[in-house]
Amino acid sequence: MSQAVTIEHVSKVYPLGSTEVQALRDIHLSFDTGEFTTVAGPSGCGKSTLLNLIGCMDTPSRGEVYIEGQPISKLGDKELTRLRLDKLGFIFQSFNLIPVLTVFQNIEFPLLIQGGFTSKERSDRVRELMEEVGLSAQAKQKSNALSGGQRQRVAIARALVTRPRIVLADEPTANLDSATGERIIDLMKAVNQSHKTTFIFSTHDPLVMKHATRIIRLRDGEVLEG
Amino acid sequence: MRESLALIIKVAFRNLWLYRLKSTVIAGLLCMGSFIGIVGLSLLHDVEHSMQDSIISSVAGHLQAYSSKAKDDLALFGGAFMGRADVGTIPNLASLRDVVKQNTNVADFIPMGSDMAMLGRGNELDETLTSLRGALKKGETDIIAQRKDELKFLFLQLERELTERAKLSADKELMDRYRADLNHALEPDFLGTLNALDEEKLLFLDTHIAPISGEKQPIYLMYLGTDIQLFKQNFPKFKLVEGEPLGPGQRGILISYKVRETQLKAVVARLFDELKKRIDRVRVPIKGDVENERAAADLPKQYQQILSSLDRHKADVLSEFLKSIGIKPKSAELITGLKEQLQEFLQVDDTNFQERYKQFYAQIAPKMKLYEISPGETIVLRSYTKSGYLKSVPLKVFGVYTFEGLEDSDLAGVMNITDLITFRELYGEMNEESKKELEAMRVASSTVVTDAAGAEDALFGAGASASVPSVDTHPVETKTDSKKKEILHIKPVISDVFPESEIQKGLALNGAIRLKDGSKIKETRAELNKLLKEAGIEAKLVDWQEATGIVGQFANIVRLVLIFALGVIFLVALVIINNSIIVGTLNRTKEIGTMRAIGAQKSFVLGLFLAETAITGLIGSIIGATLATVFLFTLHIKGIPAPNDIVSFLFSGPRLYPTLQWNLVMTTPFVVSLVATIASIYAARHAAHVKPAEAMQEKE
Repeated sequence: MSQAVTIEHVSKVYPLGSTEVQALRDIHLSFDTGEFTTVAGPSGCGKSTLLNLIGCMDTPSRGEVYIEGQPISKLGDKELTRLRLDKLGFIFQSFNLIPVLTVFQNIEFPLLIQGGFTSKERSDRVRELMEEVGLSAQAKQKSNALSGGQRQRVAIARALVTRPRIVLADEPTANLDSATGERIIDLMKAVNQSHKTTFIFSTHDPLVMKHATRIIRLRDGEVLEG
Repeated sequence: MRESLALIIKVAFRNLWLYRLKSTVIAGLLCMGSFIGIVGLSLLHDVEHSMQDSIISSVAGHLQAYSSKAKDDLALFGGAFMGRADVGTIPNLASLRDVVKQNTNVADFIPMGSDMAMLGRGNELDETLTSLRGALKKGETDIIAQRKDELKFLFLQLERELTERAKLSADKELMDRYRADLNHALEPDFLGTLNALDEEKLLFLDTHIAPISGEKQPIYLMYLGTDIQLFKQNFPKFKLVEGEPLGPGQRGILISYKVRETQLKAVVARLFDELKKRIDRVRVPIKGDVENERAAADLPKQYQQILSSLDRHKADVLSEFLKSIGIKPKSAELITGLKEQLQEFLQVDDTNFQERYKQFYAQIAPKMKLYEISPGETIVLRSYTKSGYLKSVPLKVFGVYTFEGLEDSDLAGVMNITDLITFRELYGEMNEESKKELEAMRVASSTVVTDAAGAEDALFGAGASASVPSVDTHPVETKTDSKKKEILHIKPVISDVFPESEIQKGLALNGAIRLKDGSKIKETRAELNKLLKEAGIEAKLVDWQEATGIVGQFANIVRLVLIFALGVIFLVALVIINNSIIVGTLNRTKEIGTMRAIGAQKSFVLGLFLAETAITGLIGSIIGATLATVFLFTLHIKGIPAPNDIVSFLFSGPRLYPTLQWNLVMTTPFVVSLVATIASIYAARHAAHVKPAEAMQEKE
């Protein structure tokens, strides 16, 4: 099985005033294509830092992160942005939809940035995904008129619309009640199965964790398990 | 690319709607900026044109030429306060004209020279005596009594003046004699018994009392000497309103309408005029306005001016008229009764003013001497010549002129126009006849003419001046035979006409140049400068704007003020725009971070914020431009009234009808939004620097 993400001896240090904070210490991990992995651990354990590095929103202080074999530490802002656009999808804890846009427009948004699609191609893809997440009826609604669960469905559709190889989800169920959270995880799992998309998500909800095929536990910037 | 632009605009519009209060404030500011910009610049454009027309078509022409040796700048409408500007002289205007006229764009060259002169106004006592003499001749007893009252009043005034003068005068003997004469005249018997043509008493008053009283305060008149025929042809705003034109070769003066109305008109009429203008034009009622109330309070005091110019018959007619409009005399005696009637008539308020104004001009004004100077009369102008002696020139008043549309203007209208020969006379330049006469007198008194360089030779013998450079080139007279002590009576040599050829050559101070194509002022000026240089003529050229000093610069000053005001508005708008973007960035950090996280480049975020400003700017400024168009269009139909004389000059008439500058209306919105957009780049970059990881931050 090919590797979606490889992390080699990665450390991340943040300056904090005159001192430094060691967020990650010599992490060595790899994620296979199609994995459904959760990163768990208490606050401040380095979950977010790890997701930021995998999500190409940051570069490591030491070591290297490979996204589908491509090293990212030397890349500039433009290339990292392009990499995020083309290969990664994001799902956020508080959904992060663009409030002024409708459901359809929110899902369409990454395609418009990516460019190169006809409006029919875009519309087809968006509709297909809306159906998949069960929101066809809400296409024209503003995102702020939706419930939390519905919003996260829109976010999932948006994350998938560019057909990314890897989807990163930061505590996707933290703002949802447990029943809705469970359904969201089920949806993610279904997508993971049907699209063979690699899912890496953080959580500290044991109910969510049990759906994962692999659990990586972090503490104080180091891998405890996984 | 096109899709992402469409997306940017779509998101920008949504955001503007989301933050509509903020957007409205910014759009409102830019709307105001566009409105002020378009209206201001349009009006300025019109004022500049009308003012240019006022100036070019009244006295300045397109260009003015004057001596390059001038110590002061030429200021046609005045500029040198206290004292006369030294603009040098053009000693031979013919050569300058010939050179200037070589240029094909030059339509005409009009020689000019202007200066200030005093108007001799005679003596009030003399006037009253003349009037008394007339009444005595006709035996009109009540008029006689009235005149004698006036005389007595003047005597008492003289007495007070004399007391003051005695304190200062060194000539005690003269003062004592004056005092004695005045005391004699003030004896009750003196005027009391003067009821018939008593030549002895009248002669005493003429020769002993009248000379004590000085002249009335002189009036200073600006005069412009020119070739009047050329002037009329080249300055289309020139218009004769009364009297007759000054023909070729005729000496005389045309009095300015404005000067006559404001300085040479009877005070009572001036007060009526002043009130009428402020009530009708400025629309200020009498009651409650300090200026109007003062004028209204002054009016009843002016009855004397009317009374003193009436004879018995006119007084009778006037009294009857006043009775007919319900103003009855209290006293039976005609003059005393009329005095009471006039005092009552001159009491004006907001209810009766318009009626009284009409009645005054219909019934009273024709019976009195309304103006100090009228066409057909002869006046005496006095001026200090350049060499410092006082020169008097009697001049026939031919007519009253004005510049059309500038009737009320203080600027173009203060010049009284005279012929160039009279100007030279007052300026101190001698004409051929004067020179001949002076020469004849020199021969008679055996003086020789020497110039400054030769003066010392003449006095001390040849060779004395070898080391002394020439200091003055004016001819100096040196009396060689001091034994001959005849007094020279230099009569002014002034005839009513002059050979026309004299104004073609000789001295002028400056010259107006009218161009055929007025849009080529710059080019023609450069060409003329070259021609003058080649011909070796020491003259410089200024355009109408420079030639009129501060007045010509007015438009530039207003433009600066306007630009400054617009600058302030823009600055405020830009600060608010930047500020709102920065605050907006803080509020929208997560949104921006999300866009960046899911793959939007920095440039996309930058574009989004710039688009928001550009759209706000366009909407605001298009509304502003529309309002400005409607506003200007309304003004175009109604016209803007000139509230005062200076503005009427700027408007080139009593009202300005602004024209709509379509190019301004079309371009301003784009310029405004472009400037606003460019100015918001800094803040937008700030927004673009939001990190994608911000999308992950949980701040709830």
